Amino acid sequence: MNILVVLAVAIVFGLLRFRRAGLLAWAGAWWVGVYVLLRFGFSAPIPASVVSLYMGIVSIALLAYVSSSEERRDEVSRPLVRFMTEKRYTALLGATVLAIPALAAANVYVRMNVPLEPPLFSRTVHPASPSEITVHDKKIDLDTAENPFLRLERTNPGEFRTHVENGRRIYYRNCVFCHGDDLSGNGMFVHGLDPIPTNFTDGTIAGLRDSFLVWRISKGGPGLPEEGGPWDSAMPAWEKLLKEEEMWEAILFLYDYTGQKPRAREETAHQ
Amino acid sequence: MTSRPISRACLVLLIGVGCVAAMRSVWAQGPDVGTEAQRESGKQLYARYCAQCHGEKGDGEGYATPHLYPRPRDFTTGKFKVRTTANGALPTHQDLVNIIRRGMPYTSMPAWPKLTDQDVTNLAYFITTFSPDFTNAERVPQPVPLPSAPSATDESIAQGKKLYEETGCARCHGTLGRGDGPSAPTLKDDWDHPIRATDLAKSWTFRAGSSREDIFRTMSTGFNGTPMPAFVDALTPEQRWAITDFIVSLSGSDGPGYSNLVVARHVRDPIDLAKGTASFAAAPAARLPIVGQIMEPGRAFHPPTTSVTVQAIYDAQSIALLVRWHDMSAEKTGQNGPSLPVPPEEEENAAPGGSQPAGTSPFGEAEAAPEGAPQAEQDPFAEGAAPSQASEFSDAVLVQIPSEAPVDARKPYFIFGDAQSSVDLWFFDLARADPLQFTGRGSADIAPNDTGDVTGVASYDRGEWSVIFKRPLRPASAAPFAPGEFLPIAFSVWDGFSRERGNRRGLTQWYSVYLEPQDVPSAIGPMIRTALLILAIELAVVGWVRWRYGSRARGELGEPRQPTATHA
Repeated sequence: MNILVVLAVAIVFGLLRFRRAGLLAWAGAWWVGVYVLLRFGFSAPIPASVVSLYMGIVSIALLAYVSSSEERRDEVSRPLVRFMTEKRYTALLGATVLAIPALAAANVYVRMNVPLEPPLFSRTVHPASPSEITVHDKKIDLDTAENPFLRLERTNPGEFRTHVENGRRIYYRNCVFCHGDDLSGNGMFVHGLDPIPTNFTDGTIAGLRDSFLVWRISKGGPGLPEEGGPWDSAMPAWEKLLKEEEMWEAILFLYDYTGQKPRAREETAHQ
Repeated sequence: MTSRPISRACLVLLIGVGCVAAMRSVWAQGPDVGTEAQRESGKQLYARYCAQCHGEKGDGEGYATPHLYPRPRDFTTGKFKVRTTANGALPTHQDLVNIIRRGMPYTSMPAWPKLTDQDVTNLAYFITTFSPDFTNAERVPQPVPLPSAPSATDESIAQGKKLYEETGCARCHGTLGRGDGPSAPTLKDDWDHPIRATDLAKSWTFRAGSSREDIFRTMSTGFNGTPMPAFVDALTPEQRWAITDFIVSLSGSDGPGYSNLVVARHVRDPIDLAKGTASFAAAPAARLPIVGQIMEPGRAFHPPTTSVTVQAIYDAQSIALLVRWHDMSAEKTGQNGPSLPVPPEEEENAAPGGSQPAGTSPFGEAEAAPEGAPQAEQDPFAEGAAPSQASEFSDAVLVQIPSEAPVDARKPYFIFGDAQSSVDLWFFDLARADPLQFTGRGSADIAPNDTGDVTGVASYDRGEWSVIFKRPLRPASAAPFAPGEFLPIAFSVWDGFSRERGNRRGLTQWYSVYLEPQDVPSAIGPMIRTALLILAIELAVVGWVRWRYGSRARGELGEPRQPTATHA
């Protein structure tokens, strides 16, 4: 919720109550107030078609309310009739009569000049991986595969650091151009890429198994299933450029640099 | 009466003493290299964020260096490009802070907005430890005076244009600023690496920033370690501001305004290639970003082309595409091809522009001398233009569309298609007179398919290639272009000077081309109809209200019923 907008609407309603506004003003205020809340009151934008649907309901409700008794009908129609008949309003009336068609015409113009948008493809960001891939003639079972260097962290910290350092070199020679110096997916080529490169610092890779990463790295964009839009992704199939252990070292570096851990296999087994 | 001159003299003396004191205090400040604790903190940050490119020892030899161009700064030499200080001088602490904060656009040096002010300060202090110059009390950097800007006028731009030519800017940067001056292909930096003159018609790519103040500063203080001299002594501030205004005018816009859609406009007259680019005057231009082909082996990490500008028109039979991009020099000899092999070792240490023999710096030794004579008065260009020797690889450009119009979201792979869905490649080797056609089923499977449908014409003028492709809208065997329809389209550009060929090139991802229907429905009719309808309803309502209730008042016009109903 956008608290400031909600507060502003509430304050205006309070003021109207305080000033003892007539029924016509109230009907108008409700209509505008609901519109403002729908349009600006929520932090996630509501689609225009949904807003117009709600506003249609609000309009009918208000009409039903103001015409529900003789008294209310009078209270609403009296100021309108005065506005249309009394001489002192003539100029304002004339302006209103001209302004409404002008606004409607402007609306037609805007609707007919909506900027062209190329067809959109809504891809699946993390499609399901296959159960097995073949990298450099070696089968990798993605359900059981784990980073072979990860256990060195406990058994041989010195060697572990060597592999992280190798991963760091591989990253900055190959991945930095798209995934960026600080691994946040803002490399120097991002302005020319859609889909944009993955941000490794936002927790995404903590929710993924490291075998998922080795699939994405070795097979790249072309290895995505159809729902992932393999034709648009600029992620290379790194098996063409890197050895298998180099990919695991790069993965080791991604988790080490960002202070994250790959999702453990036990968690997956529960699903 | 006699006391006044005396008091005046006293005042002058006082001011003089004050000035000297102030000067002394500046000198007495000594080098601004921070505290031991600050440098130590900076060291940790450097190891995490900077060492990968600039090297553990600050010598610019990090892990990434073999693939980077421009190369990462070597801090041990004390030569820094972006400064407020005199030519050859060290940067101030604030200069270092600024460049870390802002980065260098279109290079591998990113901006670091996430670091705190304190972090950046500490980093800047740590960087000073790589060169003994920073602790040398005699080399304490002093900013040169950079007076604030007068506002730009047509006169200042015209004066700037004149000065730009007189001062010799065009010798490297080209008459229209596209980085295509006759000396441009010979430029080398102090480390003997080839270096390009900035394309001044793309202000968003300026390494030191694109604001007027940034341009003025660069022109005033130069880029140490490069052939770009300082003009702080050679030109007055007014002259430098005038050239600044002219340079700003060259780009035509503040940003690149990248698009994702090429709109082809219908023309009544049959498209005539002989008319050249003039046929495209009314067609909207779409600028599309070029990135390095770093997906397939034989990678290009830093293609010199950063964007192509595309326009399109179609008549009853054909569509024509105009593709334009800036190129330092036209390579019209040698050969090129979409599948020419690139040896893997060329990916390493492949600095662009290696094919030409090295010329001397056009400014001679001038840029090495901090207090050197005003460079502009020398004739730095006595050596003349670059040797126009034959290049091994020619410039080339390619348009890619799917072989069959996609029926759903599925497209061929954006790099030359894939085994399932092929792409049509319209390839123009600019050493040849005509384009060729290929069919791509992936980078490793490109076959000639010259139906003769695609014709074209190419020209190079003052740093810009203009290449026109023309093809029938509905040929016998290729995806048709239809009015009101979108078709995926992608582009590739090869710079022969940088030995680009085959996989080594700049490319775009898929974008779209849309054929705007011949008759775009006008909004005027529907607008008038809507307005009249509403006006009629209003008048009817007001008329009825007045007839029913209006015995007391008389007027001419009326008004609608309830705003709620109207708005709904």
